[in-house]
Amino acid sequence: MMRIRIIKPGILSTIQDLGRNNYLSQAVPVSGAMDTLSARIANMAIGNNDNAAVIEFTYADAEFMTETDTLIAYAGDGAILQVGDLVIPAEKPVFIPAYTSVQLVNNPAGSRTYMAIGGGFDVPEVLGSRSTFITAKLGGFEGRNLQAGDTLSSAETLTSTTANIFYRLKGETITYPAWSIAHRMFMPADTKRIRVVPAHEFSWFHGLAIVNFLSEPYTLSMNSNRMGYHLDGEPITRIIKNELLSTAVTPGTIQVTGNGSMVLLMADCQTTGGYPRIAQVAAVDLPLCGQLKPGDTIYFEDISHQNAEMLYIEREHELQQLREAIQQKYL
Amino acid sequence: MQPLTDLANKVFTAYYLSEHALTLEFGHEISESLLQKITSFNFLINQKPFTGFRTSVPAYGTISVFYDPIKVIQADDLQGIDCYEKVFNYLYQLTPDSDTQPNTPNNLITIPTCYGGVYGEDLDEVADLNNLSTDEVINLHSAAIYKVYMIGFVPGFAYLGGMSAQLATPRKPTPRKIIPAGSVGIAGMQTGIYPLATPGGWQLIGRTPLTLFDATRERPALLKAGDQVVFKPIDHHQFENYRH
Repeated sequence: MMRIRIIKPGILSTIQDLGRNNYLSQAVPVSGAMDTLSARIANMAIGNNDNAAVIEFTYADAEFMTETDTLIAYAGDGAILQVGDLVIPAEKPVFIPAYTSVQLVNNPAGSRTYMAIGGGFDVPEVLGSRSTFITAKLGGFEGRNLQAGDTLSSAETLTSTTANIFYRLKGETITYPAWSIAHRMFMPADTKRIRVVPAHEFSWFHGLAIVNFLSEPYTLSMNSNRMGYHLDGEPITRIIKNELLSTAVTPGTIQVTGNGSMVLLMADCQTTGGYPRIAQVAAVDLPLCGQLKPGDTIYFEDISHQNAEMLYIEREHELQQLREAIQQKYL
Repeated sequence: MQPLTDLANKVFTAYYLSEHALTLEFGHEISESLLQKITSFNFLINQKPFTGFRTSVPAYGTISVFYDPIKVIQADDLQGIDCYEKVFNYLYQLTPDSDTQPNTPNNLITIPTCYGGVYGEDLDEVADLNNLSTDEVINLHSAAIYKVYMIGFVPGFAYLGGMSAQLATPRKPTPRKIIPAGSVGIAGMQTGIYPLATPGGWQLIGRTPLTLFDATRERPALLKAGDQVVFKPIDHHQFENYRH
């Protein structure tokens, strides 16, 4: 078993996995990592299951201490991990000896960093997931964000890949292999251009509003969190002004509120909504949205739903190949 | 979108929701017959799930069906060129039989509610917009027997049908950043109760001291689709006493 203690929690640090998918009919949100790709890459790098619980750090200014010899990996653009002046490389397994203090140092590229530990963090499953949903105080570490003094342990059982990585790296000092996961390989070159599929009420909006939506920049307002991002930009005006009957929405849904502004729903979003929807962010680009922060500017580009589904299946195929390659390396 | 008609009381169109879900649309009104149709078909989907099925979310006029696209695309028993088609084709051929009729329980749940003041800040606005006195709003709201049409938005949030048309009020143009747990609200023809402190765009007319969602209960949500609900007006003393 591995164990760490939170010294400084940072702005918002929570335990997350890939989400809570089975209670949507009781309106329990998915939650889970905002950037699921980074969370999965951190887990894969140390041979964990993709769904193992990780810490989602928001920005930097956090610190933890290992209380045992520990195997970690991290990914995501919110922070760089350092031990003193030593930079710990991302996207690869790293052995950290007991009683080492690890700081999170600002990385302006993004907002969230995912840290995996060998075996995954051992917190109870609530309604089928270890994700924290703070609004309802459920899941994660006592249903809340992490605080100074919290001690987090890993699960007892390791996959054979994790065990092999751990025992090969184990030593007196911080150790890591030469290889790392080419995280960028899974992302488009322009990470501020978000691909979307037109949503069911797309035709409710004015033609010019749709042209603006697909060409003008939109900026994340300060009013943005794990539930969703309010987007500032050209207002989206409607032709059809019906009240919509509430129906299911899902992370990545872009709703248009009464005053013509847009809300991009994220991991902790409601399960149903009554605002008309202009578009749905392609699942492969939703992790990019998880790295956005207030003030960031994005553009939207439309693709067909067939194309979005194909991109999703291709990415899952690539991730599967990566998982197998790592397992092969540590047989 | 694929328009469809079916003789077996199954009339829906479908649209793509995400890589993980599609939505079946049965109608655009709030009606008991539509609720019945949706409840039955939702029961059927859950009785006869397809490979990769995760869960379904029934709403007023729709059922959204969530699935694992990798399992669906690999399923040889599902016909179609992509996940959307495979799931749609499966759902379209599903037909109810005697084993798949839901038994609809008829629970009646009373929701004690303190109307107006700090408990329901928009009561005056709802009254003004409908040319009613606040007492008339309270009387109309608490006289009706409601039916739970769907659970959505946040854990345990019940959308209730059966509200008097005299109380219909549009949503707030800008949602509030935080609404107290237990708040009773109105949006268009809908009324409902906020189980948790969350943002929201509904007009608030009162608040209940009941706990509508608790993850430690066997069934976390107090209300479920099909339940009947009545609101019983209480004063602020009764509201505060309820918590002790």
